[in-house]
Amino acid sequence: MINLINLSKYFGHIKAVDRLNLSVSSGELFGFIGQNGAGKTTTIQMIAGLLAPTEGSVIIDGIDMAKEPEKAKKKIGLIPDRPFLYEKLTGMEFLKFTADLYEVSKEVFLENTEKLLTMFSLIDRAHELIESYSHGMKQRLVMSAALLHEPPLIVVDEPMVGLDPRGIKLVTNLFRSLVAKGTTIFMSTHTLRLAEDVCDRIGIINNGKLIATGTVNELKHTAQIGEADLEEVFFQLTKEEISL
Amino acid sequence: MKQAVILLNPRLLSFRNKGFAKDRSIRLIIFAAIGISFWAGIFAICYRVLMYFQSVEGLGNMLAYKLLSMILLIFFSLLIFSSILTSLSNLYMSKDLTLIHSLPVPSEKIFLAKWIESTIDSSWMVVVYTIPVFISYGIVFETGPFFYMAIVLTLFPLCIIASALSSIMVLVIVIILPASRIRSVFVFLGLALLVIIYITFRLLRPERLVNPENFASLLGYLNNLSTPSYPLLPSTWAFDSLKAALTGDVSCSLFNVALSMSCAAFLIFSGILIAKAIYFKGFSKSQASMTWLFQHKKERLDKLFSFLSGPTKSFVVKEIKTFLRDQAQWSQIFLIGALIVIYIYNFSVLPIEHSPIKTVYLQNLLSFLNVALAAFVLISVTARFAFPSISIEGSAFWIVRSAPIPIRTFLRIKFFIYLFPLLILSEILIIVTNLLLNVTPFMMYLSIITLFFLTPGVVSLGIGLGAAYPDFNSENPAHTVTGFGGLVFMIISAAYIGAVIVLEAGPVYTIFMSGIRNENLSYFQLLWIIGSFFTAFLISMLAIILPIRFGEKRLVAHSFAGL
Ligand SMILES: Nc1ncnc2c1ncn2[C@@H]1O[C@H](COP(=O)(O)OP(=O)(O)OP(=O)(O)O)[C@@H](O)[C@H]1O
Ligand SMILES: [Mg+2]
Repeated sequence: MINLINLSKYFGHIKAVDRLNLSVSSGELFGFIGQNGAGKTTTIQMIAGLLAPTEGSVIIDGIDMAKEPEKAKKKIGLIPDRPFLYEKLTGMEFLKFTADLYEVSKEVFLENTEKLLTMFSLIDRAHELIESYSHGMKQRLVMSAALLHEPPLIVVDEPMVGLDPRGIKLVTNLFRSLVAKGTTIFMSTHTLRLAEDVCDRIGIINNGKLIATGTVNELKHTAQIGEADLEEVFFQLTKEEISL
Repeated sequence: MKQAVILLNPRLLSFRNKGFAKDRSIRLIIFAAIGISFWAGIFAICYRVLMYFQSVEGLGNMLAYKLLSMILLIFFSLLIFSSILTSLSNLYMSKDLTLIHSLPVPSEKIFLAKWIESTIDSSWMVVVYTIPVFISYGIVFETGPFFYMAIVLTLFPLCIIASALSSIMVLVIVIILPASRIRSVFVFLGLALLVIIYITFRLLRPERLVNPENFASLLGYLNNLSTPSYPLLPSTWAFDSLKAALTGDVSCSLFNVALSMSCAAFLIFSGILIAKAIYFKGFSKSQASMTWLFQHKKERLDKLFSFLSGPTKSFVVKEIKTFLRDQAQWSQIFLIGALIVIYIYNFSVLPIEHSPIKTVYLQNLLSFLNVALAAFVLISVTARFAFPSISIEGSAFWIVRSAPIPIRTFLRIKFFIYLFPLLILSEILIIVTNLLLNVTPFMMYLSIITLFFLTPGVVSLGIGLGAAYPDFNSENPAHTVTGFGGLVFMIISAAYIGAVIVLEAGPVYTIFMSGIRNENLSYFQLLWIIGSFFTAFLISMLAIILPIRFGEKRLVAHSFAGL
């Protein structure tokens, strides 16, 4: 579903993402972890077509993001880490906006908004300006908007920031059920427990380089740790990289 | 005071960090060059006018004084207006305020720091560009060094008075308005602007200076020039002080300076006292956002634009709704209103009928001047609305970037959204003023057609350059136009309009003259006329197409911090 080939992004002399090669297959939930400033958000921005890579390419479902961006973007539902929205629209109007943008038919729009707004407990506040929403509510709205057009690929940057425990549980279950239905999810996170629990495969990025990928067990093997959780694997691998 | 200074530090530091960034130095040079040439231009014009006044036997000084009092009055109203805007945004809208108010600093200190900031923000430009005017007075009147000192001594308290008055006004307005309406502040400001402009005009009555009817009786004219000034206006004290300094009356000048200074000091202390009482209360109030319920109406806008494709419709509807709900945006319509009122007012009082030179040449000149003026109104409105319309997407720009539409389509949608209202505006303007001017039908049609092509060109320049130089982190996107991109926009649009008018004016003059002389146009002249009009058309087409392309290219390459 996602193919990153030699993907690099330089900001001046900072190599935010450095020759990253990765492929994520359909129906997989891929977790992307790394320290602050490791390059997660930058990678996600390039996958979603928000940033042009300095080098390399992003292939979404066989479509090159650089060559046919519109076609590729249509397959993606993006949930950024900070939910900046059009503050002067109401939640419902924003969803309508998204639906029109992705050319969702009226029937699907009505059905999905009803379902999503109820699921995210936004249905009572749907006709208020987004300006007056709390951080978590905005995050829920972004998620609803990203899911509205039923994309085959969902790209999420730190989904749990600002969500309450109930919201976290909701999203975790939601992601699992989506993946079960064949949706691919690419998710960056700092919540290692979450990554360990829900992800099929995990990639660790450090200083812009992908230093390890695999299932939790494979990663333990790489880190040469026997009985440990992902947290220790993470510390071990990122420490190694730093000491190099 | 120390705490207030500490609060000012972040601003100074970020200014310094910004100033030393490498790629800024070229911009800085361009800015400086343009600034200096403006400055020199103002000086040259003012100097010439004053020299001319001096040559008018007997009346010279009086005219010069009258002009000085007018300039000071305008100076003062400009300061009041710009400080209302800046103190509102500095005191209540800045993003750093939530941080600052959590610091262990009393609210009146915060007020003081923010007030100092807005005083500087609002007055430096006005001061810089009026200095050459005052210097030319000093040179023409051949004054000693005291006059130059008096300039500083009078302008300083005048700026402080204006900014203190404005911030007190803002403090009170925010408290008076109910919390749910706090965002309506801008509507009040818009109205305030209209009132300020009206009052300034009534006090000035500029038409009297040029109206030849008054020249008819010298007595009446003199009488008019020496109409009593308004002794309670701070600008009058400044005027009296400068006038005294011009004539060398040091003590009278200093007396007026002292008057201004004491008024300024009094206002500062009142401001601090008032801030102590109500600033924090107003700030907490202003933090509440509108929680109106928008009932699920029958989506009228959606229906209205249902003929458009999905993505296009979604942006059109979003743009209109956002505009109408953002009072900071639509209340600027008052600004346009004021601009148009002044514009048409000028025409209605213009003493054309009394003009001694009533020639085809003058008529021709006036109608082209009118096209130019309308185009400048168009530029300023475009600068206010279309130019910032890309930056205004702000942090929500990721939505556009991740959306399945090309940036070019996005820019085109923006272009058309702003084109239609602006086209209507400029055509109405030109038709009304042309009727007031009594132009020939030929000129009427020509102006209508010219603006029909100029408007899309200017709007495209606004959108394209706004996209090429966006500022997604701006606290007040309407101000992005004062940056480098805005400057480029103004210069290119002005050059574009100038070029089109020059290309048209020559041929039109030839046509008029041959009509009067009853001569036929020569083959060569005909060719020249057609070529000239065609070039104007070509330039317009380029102005419509190229800027959007350029903006697209730059915007795609733009990496914005944060998702
Ligand atoms: N617009 C930008 N301009 C310059 N440098 C940038 C920009 N965006 C990111 N960077 C740099 O790129 C590197 C990677 O940043 P990125 O935001 O991808 O990190 P991250 O892994 O998402 O971190 P976090 O966990 O804090 O969200 C950092 O060193 C950052 O300073
Ligand atoms: Mg990040």
